[in-house]
Formats: sequence, C-alpha cells, structure tokens
Amino acid sequence: MNTEMIKLVLLDGALAAVAAVGFAVISNPSRKAIYFSALLAAIGHALRFILIKSGVEISLATFAAASTIGLLSILFARLIHCPAEVFSFPSLLPMIPGMFAYKTILSMIKFMQSTDTIKAQGFMMDFFHNGMTTVFILFALVVGVSLPILFFPNYSFMVTRRYEQKHNR
Amino acid sequence: MKENQEPTIEQIADLLTDIASSLMSSGSHTKRIIRNVSRIADVLGYDTDITLLQMSVMLTITNAEDRTKRLTTNKKLNPLLLNFTTVSDLSALSWRTHDDKLPFDMIQSEYKRIVSQKRISPWLVMFLVGCANAAFCGLFKGDLPSAGLVFAATIVGFFLRQEMNKRHVNHLVSFTASAFIASLVAGMTYVFQIGTTPQIALAASVLYLIPGVPLINSVLDLIEGHILIGISRLVNAASLIVCIAIGLFTSMLILGLEKL
Repeated sequence: MNTEMIKLVLLDGALAAVAAVGFAVISNPSRKAIYFSALLAAIGHALRFILIKSGVEISLATFAAASTIGLLSILFARLIHCPAEVFSFPSLLPMIPGMFAYKTILSMIKFMQSTDTIKAQGFMMDFFHNGMTTVFILFALVVGVSLPILFFPNYSFMVTRRYEQKHNR
Repeated sequence: MKENQEPTIEQIADLLTDIASSLMSSGSHTKRIIRNVSRIADVLGYDTDITLLQMSVMLTITNAEDRTKRLTTNKKLNPLLLNFTTVSDLSALSWRTHDDKLPFDMIQSEYKRIVSQKRISPWLVMFLVGCANAAFCGLFKGDLPSAGLVFAATIVGFFLRQEMNKRHVNHLVSFTASAFIASLVAGMTYVFQIGTTPQIALAASVLYLIPGVPLINSVLDLIEGHILIGISRLVNAASLIVCIAIGLFTSMLILGLEKL
C-alpha cells in the first residue's frame, strides 16, 4: 500500500466519522456514545473502502464491515455501559447505498419516459442492477450488525449493568 | 415498611407501562423492552406478559405470590422520537433495580428524572446533520461546491421537517415535502452549473431522511421472532423510504431529465 492509498483511506474514514456524528445526534445519545460511533464508522467505512479497492464485491465488503462494527460495538459497549445498538446504528449509516438508490430512481424515470424500445430495455437493466445492489447492501448492513448481538445475547444485554464488575474486582 | 406505603398494583402497572412505552417510542427493539420491564417487575414481585404493537403497548402483571392479584393495562404510544439516552439510562435503571433492590418510589423518581432530561439543542443537530450530509457527498466522490450546496439543502430540508413535526403534519407528508425541497435546492447545481458533480449532490441531499433505526430494529425483531411488530416497523420504514423517493422523483421531473 502506497502513501496515496493511505491518504485516501484516511480521508474516507474521516468523512465517514463526520457523517456518523451527524446521524448519531438525531437519536440523542450520550456524548461518549457519539465519539465511539464516529470511531466505529471510520473503522468500518475505511475497512470497506480497502476491501472494495482490493476487488471484493461491494455487498460482501459491506457485510464484512458491518459485522466488524457489530463486534467492536459490543466490546465498546462494555467499556462505556451503554447498549451496543446506540452507537452501532449511526456508524452503519455512512455505508447506506445512496448513489445506487438514486440511480434506481433515475433509471425508473427514464424507463417511464422513453419511447425507444431498445433504450428502454437498457434502462430496465439499469433499474434492476441498481435496485438489487441497493437492497442487497441494505440487507448486508442490517444482518451484519445484528449477528453479533444475536450470537452474544447475554453479553450484549448486560452491558448497562455496573454491579457485577464492582463485586468481581 | 408501613402498610399504606406499599405501592398498589395499579401504581406498579402504570409505572411499568410508562417505562415500556418510553422505551418503545425512544427506538429500542422489542427484546430489550421485554427484558427491562420484566426485570423491574421481578424485583417488585410481579410476573409480566407484554404485547407490543406499533401504536400501543399492552401489559398484564400478576403477583408472584398471590396469582389472583392481576391487572392488565393498555397504553397509547407517543409518536417515535428517537432518544438513545433514554434507552440506555432506562436499561441501566433496570439493572440497578435488579442488583440493589431499589424500592418503588426510587424507581419512579429515577424514571421521571430520566424522561425529563433535555435533548441536544435542535440547532446544533441541524448543523451537524448538514455537515454529515456534506460528508456523504464527499464519500460519493462529490466535489467541494456540491458538498456546500448539499449542506445548504440539508439545513433547509431538516428545518422544514422540524417545523412540520411541530405542527403535527402527517409524517409521510413531511418526509415527502422535505425530500422534495432538499433535492430541489441541491438541484441548483444543475441550474447554475455549480461544481462538476451535480448527480452526486442530488443523491446525497435526501440521505439525512433515511429511517435507519426503524429499519435495523425491524430486522432485529424479525430475527428474534417478534414478527408482527417487526413487520409493522418494516412497513413503516419502507413507506418512509418510498416517500423520500417520491420527493426526489418530483424534483427530478421538475428540474428536467435531459440534463441528467
């Protein structure tokens, strides 16, 4: 990996962090949770960026990044005594497939308005390609982040408990 | 403890339904709500059975020692207003109740304190959401002028949605309207030839509306077996997404597609 690539990855992470902070504050979390969601978003999005650059398919890369976020969020949740979903949800949002969703709508409108059959077929292809990608990425995001919560249910439901640690020391 | 200080079954049921409905309208998933409420009820000496629906919560509590003492309450839910501070504080309260065996009065006063906490200032939220959407534009490889316009578009759209929410406009209408206005403002990249990436500006301008939390909660509920509430959340989130698409669609038709 050369310096140019490292710069791109860092920029990507920083932008994702800013986006995550913006989406986190809508749901009014505690201040610590906001910092952690920024950190997680940066890690997740940079990871996805690297994976895509090295040739992994986008929905698969998204799935990997989302499950990484899910796992790390359970660890961090333990640190700050705050349910994992509080900061794992906002940190997923920078990976929402906005461009694909936009292109889906665009090709739908173009299909609707086109009179040329050959061109219309092309738009139909675009519509399905972009629409499928949108749906699969969304699916990968949601399932990826919820898997760790399902695998460690007791662990993730007990993060807000303080008692146990106080007495185990 | 004196006899008259013992909380009545009505008081306990009221507190528990209040906690459940606050958790629900703050955006928690179903399993957490059921766990938290049952944990508190256990300490107070009651068994609980909860039914959660999109608009109401229904709860039956039964005294663990005297099974003839039971009460069912049903409470209308407030509209969804995400508040994760409430979720994590109530969750912590339920564990504290469990571990320290808090008395009823204590739980009630703590609950009141938690739900009356102040939210982050709406102006700050608006500014940060604007920055977030501009960062989105950057992530999609948009250039700086379009990111600036996306910032402006988001502020306008978000302000509109806040005002419409204050006036209790139907949420589908307010989503459509703010998506429409935001994308129209972002569409000025076309009209005035600002920047080189107008497409990206349009796409990024409506993303602040995406109902991410209901979407993820719905999948969590579906996976955990709460099918009915999972589907209602999914339908809710999907209809909001359709509304965003309609808003974007309309402004794209107005801007003219030949240039896109």
